[in-house]
Amino acid sequence: MRFTVGWLYPDLMNIYGDRGNILTLLQRARWRGFDPKLLELGRGNAKEMEDVDVFFFGGGQDREQALVYEDLLEFKQPPLERAVAGGAQILAVCGGYQLLGHYYQTFEGERFPGIGLIDVRTEAGKQRFIGDVVIETDIAGLTPKTLVGFENHSGRTFLGPKARPLGRIVLGHGNNGSDGMEGCIQGGVIGSYLHGSLLPKNPHLADHLIRAALRRRGVDELSRLDDSAEMSAHEQILQRAERR
Amino acid sequence: MIRKATAVWAGKATGVVSRITRRGGGTTLPGDIARAIDPHVLTKLSQDLKQGSVVITGTNGKTTTARLISWLLEGAGNTVVANRAGANLIFGVTAAAVNQAGPDGKLRADWGVFEIDEASLPKAVAEIQPHATLVLNLFRDQLDRYGELESIAKKIEQALSALPETAHVILNADDPRVAEIGLSLARKPTWYGLDDASVAQKELPHAADARTCPRCGASLIFDAVYVGHDGVYRCPNGDFQRPTPEITATDIKLDGFDSLEATIAGTRIAMPLGGLYNCYNVLAAFAAARTLGLTPDRIAQRLQTFKASFGRQERIDYRGRKIVLVLSKNPAGFNETVRTAIDLAKGRKFIIGLNDRKADGTDVSWIWDVDFEQLKGKAEVVIPAGIRAHDLAVRLKYAGVKAEEPQTDPARALDKLLELTKEGDSVHLLCTYTAMLDLRAELVRRGSALPYWET
Ligand SMILES: [Zn+2]
Repeated sequence: MRFTVGWLYPDLMNIYGDRGNILTLLQRARWRGFDPKLLELGRGNAKEMEDVDVFFFGGGQDREQALVYEDLLEFKQPPLERAVAGGAQILAVCGGYQLLGHYYQTFEGERFPGIGLIDVRTEAGKQRFIGDVVIETDIAGLTPKTLVGFENHSGRTFLGPKARPLGRIVLGHGNNGSDGMEGCIQGGVIGSYLHGSLLPKNPHLADHLIRAALRRRGVDELSRLDDSAEMSAHEQILQRAERR
Repeated sequence: MIRKATAVWAGKATGVVSRITRRGGGTTLPGDIARAIDPHVLTKLSQDLKQGSVVITGTNGKTTTARLISWLLEGAGNTVVANRAGANLIFGVTAAAVNQAGPDGKLRADWGVFEIDEASLPKAVAEIQPHATLVLNLFRDQLDRYGELESIAKKIEQALSALPETAHVILNADDPRVAEIGLSLARKPTWYGLDDASVAQKELPHAADARTCPRCGASLIFDAVYVGHDGVYRCPNGDFQRPTPEITATDIKLDGFDSLEATIAGTRIAMPLGGLYNCYNVLAAFAAARTLGLTPDRIAQRLQTFKASFGRQERIDYRGRKIVLVLSKNPAGFNETVRTAIDLAKGRKFIIGLNDRKADGTDVSWIWDVDFEQLKGKAEVVIPAGIRAHDLAVRLKYAGVKAEEPQTDPARALDKLLELTKEGDSVHLLCTYTAMLDLRAELVRRGSALPYWET
């Protein structure tokens, strides 16, 4: 079975090792006998977006984020909306997370509207949140309940009523450093400040995305993989959190 | 004057104490102390220098380039003051000057050669007022420490424009971000670059991070890719391109980590230092040495006997295993050292070390931008080591590389190496900065290497 990962702006929105998320999705599909395919969605018109099972939208530096912005509104918004309505999944991290929300407001008060796919808004903060993060999530069927990663952002993201948090903070700052929550889930979209990279050390979240995307094609369960290496790395961050 | 002498004395005393107590060779603390007593101590000591200073900055290659320039100057009979690797913030530079000053607080040397951390360049340049300033490259490195590349580039540009007309600015034309800085300056810098299609790659590696035109935002077209995003590039809209370098390296011949040959500005150079990234370092050093009045022939002759500094392709015999230590601290650097080790040096046995201390960068996500896939099917032994050995093991797994159990303890990593290799084997240690220090310290403990402050 074909499994397609759509990487939004791989040349521009790719800092903090975002490629790790892509490699994890592709390999875990390959190891299960699926036929993985990577679709790089750069600037300009994108034809094959309806084939995509899981989209990934990473973070960029300010200059790159500004370059992406108009293209996203012009070319990507309608196909993304159709894809999510049809059961595709989106994982958005850092800048990608912010751009999928209602708006990003700079420190000077200037507002850049996002595509409003998720009910979140972001405002620039003074202090940068940098460091290891551990959260506890209540995504149904996810074992273990913990997700680990690394955050590096100055944006403060606040959730509206339609979005629920991805998890509660055990270690780190998360969405805004004040309400104890990190990330968001709304329909088939997961937004998060966790990079580090997120999926390699959280293979259960990677499988959640693959499973959720393939459900519309009649796949209910994924075969088990040996995740001992991934979970050792996961465990190491949990142990650090305990020592603090 | 008295204040400066007191500052120097206090700094020197601190250095002696910290060397005796073996707290890392006393590389920066004397600088802290001296600057606290006299904030202008570095400016004053720089003015003591008979000829002046050379300052080197950039993400990769600072240490080797600084060492090359010192080597060339010493070969021409000059005395040189230099700071050590890892002590490249303003305190480390001050410490180097303080440690080598005389009892009267005066620095007696011909030249100062200082490697400076990118973010510290404005301060260093303002205080040192260098004869020549080199910017080697700007890659993504330790973003968690600095914020973002853009702001660093801006800082460097400001530092360079504040220099007097007589000062030399030497820049890598092949690096789009460095070129952007140089093209914004009122003065005309000296540009250097590689010109040899035979050592170029066709495509940008995954780690490349300056792919867009600084003027219009279009994706740059690369006609040649040498190291990371360094190469021959142009904007499809015609508003930005690689400046034409006046000092070029052509006819490049590489022999693993052992040696390289090239024709630089018409002079044939051969030296015992390998890897294409070192070709850039030699080119930068050559360009700098020309402004210091050294002749091409003299430079070529002196380079033949160059000795690398600790951790930069240092060679250690460990119970019959021929170990090459190669510092690899970010995606661009790592991609090149892996490529050199596997393709040019035919290396098959590796310890790869990843730490996440401050000097390494606390965020290790960049390992996913390194093309470890190059090791797949070729490497026979790969031992993931360092504090974040487990992350490295996951990275290698997804690259399809068969690796050993991760070893977070350097002693156990070396035990494992003994178990899996035999006498006469070549082994490459590719490590981030403090992972290198840890493994090397263990080799020192086992009697196979000298402490680094004695090398
Ligand atoms: Zn352009």
